[in-house]
Amino acid sequence: MAESRRNLLIGALAIAGGYAALRFGPPAVAEIFAGDLEFEPVARPAGFRRIAGGDSSTGFDLFLGLDDDPGLDTGAALERVSAQPCEALYGDDRDPDVVPMASFSDYNCPYCRALTIRLSEIEAASVGRVRISWHELPLLGEASMLAAQAALAAKRQGAYVAFHKRLMRSPFRTTPEYLKVLADDLGVDKTRLLADMDGEDVRRELRESSALAELFAFVGTPALVVGRTVVQGEISDARLERLIARERADGPIEACA
Amino acid sequence: MIRLAGLVLSLALLGGGGAIAATSQSYESPALTARLITVEDGIGPDAGTISAGLVLDLEEGWKTYWRSPGEVGLPPEVDWAGSRNVASAEVLWPAPERFRAFGIENFGYRDEVVHPIRIGLDTPGRPVALRAVISMLACSDICVPLSFDLALDIPAGAGIDRSAAEVIAEWVEKVPLSPEAAGMELRAAALSPDGAALTVELERAAGWRSPDLFPELGDGTAFGAPDIRVSANGRRLWASLPILALADPAAPLTLTVTDGANAATFEDIATGVAVPDPPYAEAQPRRSWSALSWILALAFSGGLVLNAMPCVLPVLSIKLSSALRSAQETPGRVRTGFLVTAAGTLAFMLALAGGVIGLKGLGYAVGWGTQFQNPYFLIVVTVILTLFAASFFGLFDIDLPPGLATRLATVGGRGHAGEFATGAFAALLATPCSAPLLGTAVAFALTGSAFEVVAVFATMGLGLALPYLIVAARPGVVSALPRPGRWMLAVKAVLGLLLAATAIWLLWVLAGVRSEALAWSVAALLVGMIGLITLMRVLPSARGWAMATAAGLAVAMIALPALMQPEARAAGRDDVIAWVPFARADIARHVSEGHAVLVDVTADWCLTCKANKTLVLERAPVVDALAAPSVVAIQADWTRPDPRIAAFLEAQGRFGIPFNIVYGPAAPEGIALSEVLTPGAVMDALGAALGTEVALRSD
Repeated sequence: MAESRRNLLIGALAIAGGYAALRFGPPAVAEIFAGDLEFEPVARPAGFRRIAGGDSSTGFDLFLGLDDDPGLDTGAALERVSAQPCEALYGDDRDPDVVPMASFSDYNCPYCRALTIRLSEIEAASVGRVRISWHELPLLGEASMLAAQAALAAKRQGAYVAFHKRLMRSPFRTTPEYLKVLADDLGVDKTRLLADMDGEDVRRELRESSALAELFAFVGTPALVVGRTVVQGEISDARLERLIARERADGPIEACA
Repeated sequence: MIRLAGLVLSLALLGGGGAIAATSQSYESPALTARLITVEDGIGPDAGTISAGLVLDLEEGWKTYWRSPGEVGLPPEVDWAGSRNVASAEVLWPAPERFRAFGIENFGYRDEVVHPIRIGLDTPGRPVALRAVISMLACSDICVPLSFDLALDIPAGAGIDRSAAEVIAEWVEKVPLSPEAAGMELRAAALSPDGAALTVELERAAGWRSPDLFPELGDGTAFGAPDIRVSANGRRLWASLPILALADPAAPLTLTVTDGANAATFEDIATGVAVPDPPYAEAQPRRSWSALSWILALAFSGGLVLNAMPCVLPVLSIKLSSALRSAQETPGRVRTGFLVTAAGTLAFMLALAGGVIGLKGLGYAVGWGTQFQNPYFLIVVTVILTLFAASFFGLFDIDLPPGLATRLATVGGRGHAGEFATGAFAALLATPCSAPLLGTAVAFALTGSAFEVVAVFATMGLGLALPYLIVAARPGVVSALPRPGRWMLAVKAVLGLLLAATAIWLLWVLAGVRSEALAWSVAALLVGMIGLITLMRVLPSARGWAMATAAGLAVAMIALPALMQPEARAAGRDDVIAWVPFARADIARHVSEGHAVLVDVTADWCLTCKANKTLVLERAPVVDALAAPSVVAIQADWTRPDPRIAAFLEAQGRFGIPFNIVYGPAAPEGIALSEVLTPGAVMDALGAALGTEVALRSD
């Protein structure tokens, strides 16, 4: 009797465990046993850090894109963002109760769009306690650049995430007909989208993002800055949630004060 | 391609190593090491071409891309502008590998790749200076653009770098051949009229082992994951690839086919519109033990969850009555009784597995719960249910003493056949609906081997029987039930009514499956049968002929479907939602017009479907969303067998219902919903499929 009861208990635990593994996935299970996050400072800018041993981004030459567009000269922009990196990353309007995140993505990078959508879900679920600034870092050629311009133009009409979702499974094309369909699908104003794509405002934003990438020595995409922590490449939801909690616990970013 | 074969041949005949290594300095990064090599150490007096190679040694986890990288990604590009005595350079692409990550299909290389390069010289016999500026993308968990220069000078002279020659020859062999050389033949290639899929049919006399396909239709075209099927004799290959986006205008079709180490490229293919039929046999992907054990865990949980599905409602009275019957017994008897009930459940599932294997062997398409499409099955179950109900109303056990407790004890004393039947019957009535988790397990079993069918169904049976097993493990729980008394007569009447209601529900299903006339006829014969059973009780002398007549009526009922014509199924009666009848091709058309499409596969016999409809689909906010002009609601009624719906389900990897899926401009592949719908899930899927929630609200 006692034995059968124990077997039953073991069986029930196995089902619960199986369900938990199904629901939360292997990365989360690993994360439970991962211990506390450890950090190491980044070379620059001062006051920022990264997760120790956390990514495979070391050892690359600093690089500014396959398609070096002379129009995107970042010299002046680099000086500007170096002076005030937090404003450039997160904007002027910063609330001490909100963990700021800056996302840098490229259309041609398979993981970026998946991450963008997950980030938007984290932001939505945080009910205002996490705020994401969307940056585009078109490193991978002309199509990347045009898609970045379109994404930033869509952002001006509140459709940045919708743009990324729309492009999840279909190639970006540059024909006027395609952009028209895209604008309709996103429910945005088509004339304004086309005007914004080529506007000085979007170019300036691309320059700033590119300068930030240079300042933070990003080697590729996706790249994230969560509070004062730089993350390059893929990061699991569970790890990201822990990082956000840690940033919240660590309080306002000294480097931004 | 013939030139390639010539190159392989000439490389194979090479002799003698060179003194100077024809290798450039390496470019090194954490992602990869790159260098240029050439076969020739020196340019011979009349040599007009040289054979070079771009060697990419990739670090663990890093990938580079094929000339058509898939939905995203970038192939390497080489600029030879700074070179001397180079007239042309043709970079060749070894057959790629398919990568799947984050739901995105990519084609490329890992570990190592060498791109053979054929270089044509301006002036034969003169020294060559190769200056390659290479731009490429390497991705692991981060995508890094790389740009680097490689330089290699080859003086006039003679000599061959043997090791470079071997490396280049090895990789030239991996470049897809002409179809003739690879022994592959293209039988048909068709773009479906709605532009939703590319279907091809190929033949290979040597047989297909692990084929994959990489079609190209120009920049801007993206294909989803292929559905590849090989015929029983292994020689015919049928494949269909969903087209996620189509370039306008599309370039001529180029198709690269790989099969292990063999690869061929078909160029300039003329596509037709006549889509070839798939062979009967589905390609059976190799399945690992870990996958099977995972599926078994799903099957067990799915079986357990099935206990909580509305489809099991009719079974509740049977379960309850077996618990009540046990209240008076010793723990040992209770344990045995419930173990036997669990065994009955398990036996039914094993019998079902046997039936599935048999039907599959005969080439029938098998689905979960599709026995409810069969009028003969429905009538037999209705008769059994009616007899159960009659016994609850006291019409049946006429030989037993009137005292309830005594009678139940006597039933128990007759052995365990009744309990076994209870378990089997409960499992049978639980099958018309799929449940969360169960769909995956059933799909796995129905496409798997006989062993997998048995393993999955048995595990599912264990999950379904778990409540009985828990009681068997702790027989004490039944003693918590109240003492028997007059109240049990009332309970019995209620249980009897529930069973009678189930029988009436099955008659209603029968009306949908065949015709109302058939349902009424069966009902009339059932009433006659009950009358005869009552008569046996009232007039013991009439017992013999009454029993024979009742049996005759049962036989007549079962023969009825063969005698009566089916009647056309009435569609879309008084529905709140303006359902559009199901036609698979319409989905792509609606999506191309920018609509979101909800497809609801349902049937009269699926109670979970009815619950979804009443609790979610026909309530705000879903009912309002489905009425929006940007949304099309399609209903596939599977009450009767329908090969089109069965094929649609199979294409989604499902074999049971409820099944709901949402398509839209932003989700051309569809977003499959859980068996149990929630308003949030439906609304999210519609929003995601449209690519925006704004459009939905503004409508």
